[in-house]
Order: sequence, then C-alpha cells, then structure tokens
Amino acid sequence: MDYVIHLFILINIYIILTTSTNLLVGTVNMLSLGQAAFYGIGAYLSVLALLSFNWPLFPSLLFAMVGTGLISFLISYPSIRLKGDYFVLATLGFQLIVYTILYNWVSVTRGPYGITGIPSPKLFGSIEIAGLWPFLILSTVLTIMVVVIFYNLIHSPFGRALRGVRDDELSMKALGKNVNRLKIYTFAISSAFIAVSGFLYATYVSYIDPTSFNLDESIFILSALIVGGLGNIRGPVIGALFVIILPEVLRFIGLPDSVAANLRQIIYGLALILLMRYRPQGIAGTYAIK
Amino acid sequence: MIWQFIVNGIITGMIYGVVALGFALVYNTTRIFHIAYAAIHMVAPYLLMFSMQSLGLPLFVSILLAVLGTILIGYAVDILIYSPLAKRNSSSNVIMVSSIGAMIIIINVVALIFGNETKIINPGVSQSITIGKILVTYTQVFQFVTALFLFLLFFIFLKFSRFGIITRAYRDDEKLASVLGTNIPAIKRLLFILSSAFAAVGSCLIAYDVGMNPYVGMPMLLNAVVALIIGGVGRFEAPVLGGVLIGVLQALVVYFSSARWQDAVTFLLLILFLLLRPQGILGEKMRTV
Repeated sequence: MDYVIHLFILINIYIILTTSTNLLVGTVNMLSLGQAAFYGIGAYLSVLALLSFNWPLFPSLLFAMVGTGLISFLISYPSIRLKGDYFVLATLGFQLIVYTILYNWVSVTRGPYGITGIPSPKLFGSIEIAGLWPFLILSTVLTIMVVVIFYNLIHSPFGRALRGVRDDELSMKALGKNVNRLKIYTFAISSAFIAVSGFLYATYVSYIDPTSFNLDESIFILSALIVGGLGNIRGPVIGALFVIILPEVLRFIGLPDSVAANLRQIIYGLALILLMRYRPQGIAGTYAIK
Repeated sequence: MIWQFIVNGIITGMIYGVVALGFALVYNTTRIFHIAYAAIHMVAPYLLMFSMQSLGLPLFVSILLAVLGTILIGYAVDILIYSPLAKRNSSSNVIMVSSIGAMIIIINVVALIFGNETKIINPGVSQSITIGKILVTYTQVFQFVTALFLFLLFFIFLKFSRFGIITRAYRDDEKLASVLGTNIPAIKRLLFILSSAFAAVGSCLIAYDVGMNPYVGMPMLLNAVVALIIGGVGRFEAPVLGGVLIGVLQALVVYFSSARWQDAVTFLLLILFLLLRPQGILGEKMRTV
C-alpha cells in the first residue's frame, strides 16, 4: 500500500511537469529541452528557502516559483526570436549550463554530493507535512490546483492568443499582438509551475543531487508529454500516468531490474517514433506538433 | 606548458571536426536535426570491440567491419524513420522527436547487449614522442593523421567529384537540384552513409584512446553541433574550423581553470553565437532563422 501511495505522489509530480511543459510545447509550439533545468532550479530554490531561510511551506513554494519564473527570462528573453532547431538548441544549451553549474558549484549546491536532510515543510507554522499520507494529500491538492489553473489558462483569452501564435504567428502580429511578449510570459508561467514539481520532489525525497535534473530527465519529460498528447489537459495527465505505470507493469511481468530499465527506455523510444509517424498529437492530445 | 594544452586541444578538436563533419553532411543538406547521430556514433567502437575480442579479427579488418556496421545502422535510421516522414513533409520538430526516439532505442539496445559500464579497447599506456617541449602519444599522432587524411580526401571529393558537386547543389537549393534531374533520395542515402562513416571513424579514434560506454554519444554530438554552429551552418569547412576552435578553447579552460567548466564554457559560446552571430564565423546567408 505504501508503494502505491509512493507511485501516486510520483504521478502527481509528473502531471505537474507535463502539464506545465504542455503550455510551452502544446499551446505555443516551443519545443524545449530545458525543462529539467527549471525542475532543478525549482528544487534547489525550495531547498534554499526551507533549509537556509527556514521558511514554512507556502512562502518557500512561492519563492521557488517566482525565482524560477524570473530565471526563465534569462533564457527566454534572448532566445525567443530563434526559430525551429535553433530555439531547441538554445534551451538545450541552457539545460547543460544549469546542470554544470549545479554539479560543479560545490560551495553552494554541494555538487555531486547532493543536499541531504531537507526538512519537511511546515503548514501555518505548526503542522508538519511528513510521511506518505500527508504528502499524498499535499501533492494531490497542488496537482489539482495546477491542473485547474492550466485548464483555465488554456481556455482564457490568453490561451486563445497563444494558440493563435502557434497556428499562425504572422496573423497574430497583424492583429497587433506582441508575439514575443506572449512567448516570454508563457515561458515564465511554464517554468514557475515546473518549480512546484521541484518543490514537491525535494521535500518528498528530502535529498536532491544534480543527476535528477540532467538532459535525460528533460528528454524524459518531453517524451512523457508527447506520448500522452499535446494541446489539452487530458494528454499530459495520461502521459504522466503512462511513464510512471509502465515500469511497474514491466516489473509485474517479472523482468530482472537490469533488463527492465533498458527495455522501458526502448519502449519509450518506440512509442515516440510510432506516435510521430501515425499519431503526432499523442494518445489523447488535440494538437499535432509541427 | 600552455603549448602542450593547445596541441592536445588541436588534436581533440580535429576529432570533433570529423564527427561534426558527419553531422554537417546531413544537416547542411537535408536540414534533418539528426540526434540519432549520437547513438550511431557510439555504436562503432562496440562493433570494433566485438570484432576484435569476440571474433578475434585483426585491428584493420575490425575497423572496416565497425565502419560498415555503423553505416548499416545509419542507413536503417534513414530508411525506417526519416524517409517516411520526409514523404509526408513532416516538420523539423516531428523529425527531431522521432530522432530522439531512435537514439533512445539504439543506446538501450547496446546497453542491453554490452552492459552499461565503460569498456576499454586498448589497455595499457600508449608510447609517446617529444617534439621540443611537447609530448605527443602515438595514439594522438594516429588520430591527427587519420583526421587530416579524411579532411583532405573529403574536400577534394567535395570540390571535384560529381558527388561533391551534387551535394553542394543540394545544399544550396534542394528544389532546384531536384528539378534539374538530381536523384535526391539516392543522394540523401549516400549522405547518410558517408555521415555514419565519419561518425564511426571519429568514435573509434576516441574509444581507442579512452574507451567507451553507451552514453558517450550525446556529449560528443553536442560538441559537434556547437562546432557546426560556431563554424557556420551551410559550409562544409565550418565543422572542421569550429571543432578545432572548441578543442583549443576547452583545453585552455582546463589550463586556466579546471576541466569542470569545459561544458559550461562550450555551451555559453553556443548561446552567444546563436544570439549574436547565428550564421557562424564563416557566415553564409541561411535559409532559416
């Protein structure tokens, strides 16, 4: 039972990751390979607030979100005018730089040793969120909040403008929309909400090191989203369920762990190729990436 | 002392150049962002090791087999993944995601067969010679000579052979080349074959020196991409120039600070180039951006 709760918490974390990434990839068609960098920045900022400042839950969460959102300007502002492959490359470069900094700036991030003993977040100064059940509740509440926010965002005038940028950038410019500003805001919103997953991950595992936030993780988040589907709320949720439950299914079949890890990756790879060929909008998405 | 670092940097940079040239062959012409190239690059030394240690074949036959095997894999990726997508005019993002899928599959198949750990092909320390104050190992000399030979051969072919002329025409204008009677699919397959061969030679040269694991492809691909971009997309000299520049830059970073910051400096350079001079040093007008 404990294990099932653990899985649900992971699923929650990944739903937030894919849903936030969906705003970027699914509504504006900005393919980003830097999502794990924001995930990592969110996690490290949360730890900074919790461990060094000793802040309670909501201020720490807010600090991580605002901080990550602001840091996203560093990459979005300059790279927004790049198109296609070049934009992806810029996000990739950002991912690798952030990873190198997290890994090598030992005096601040403790580098490869990681940060241990991250305290449980405190609600209203007294209620400590520790253990599986409270964490399940916290992560579920946050996930529902994030999903509701994104649902409303996608269906708001702002979301409609974003879909306009995605489908026909030139017309949006002709209609007097500041396309670059819209994109930069999207990037900031997406990054800020990814920081929520970073917060949950850091406080749940209570140990972080840079290897959880490397390029492979970025590719993994993107794969989860693309497998699930782009452009709506269903897609990312299904994607997160898929990537967390698939390993368990493989384990259930009784494959040895060493084989299962590689086999799982092969299945993801195959899923990406087949979906791109036959169903580019993913399992449940509405938008086929272009 | 600093010259030692620069010489090492140049030799490493030449290998970057070989690998980047393979990537450029595909990217300059087809505009396919060939991420699976990372995995294709990584396969070659495994084939080399298999052929040498399990089949017991001599080194040069093994190298030939490794290159041929790698070419087959590159060819398969083109036939199975890129060609069907090209037929339906898929966008660059769709192709890139498929390519990521192919890379993940190849890497994990290799990891399943050969294991995740680092393997060494050539145990023992290479002998070395000293020129002036600079120490160069035989492996490095071999790397340098092979890379130089490949570059000369390639650029002579590019300049004078029919294949070279068609390749340049394809790069300049795919539609026009096709209208004038070039068999674009055939030339594309040839380019993929040649590209995989460059990847194979580059990775065997590195693996012979320092060994390999299933995950070496991605960092190398990233170096190659940076080399291509700072050199200038669209030019075939660019990846060589860019490769050597990055090699020397990384060596200087090691000399002045530490090897830890190599990657950060490399990608900072990439981002600076993307922002300030996206056409690269050799600066040719680009079709995109």
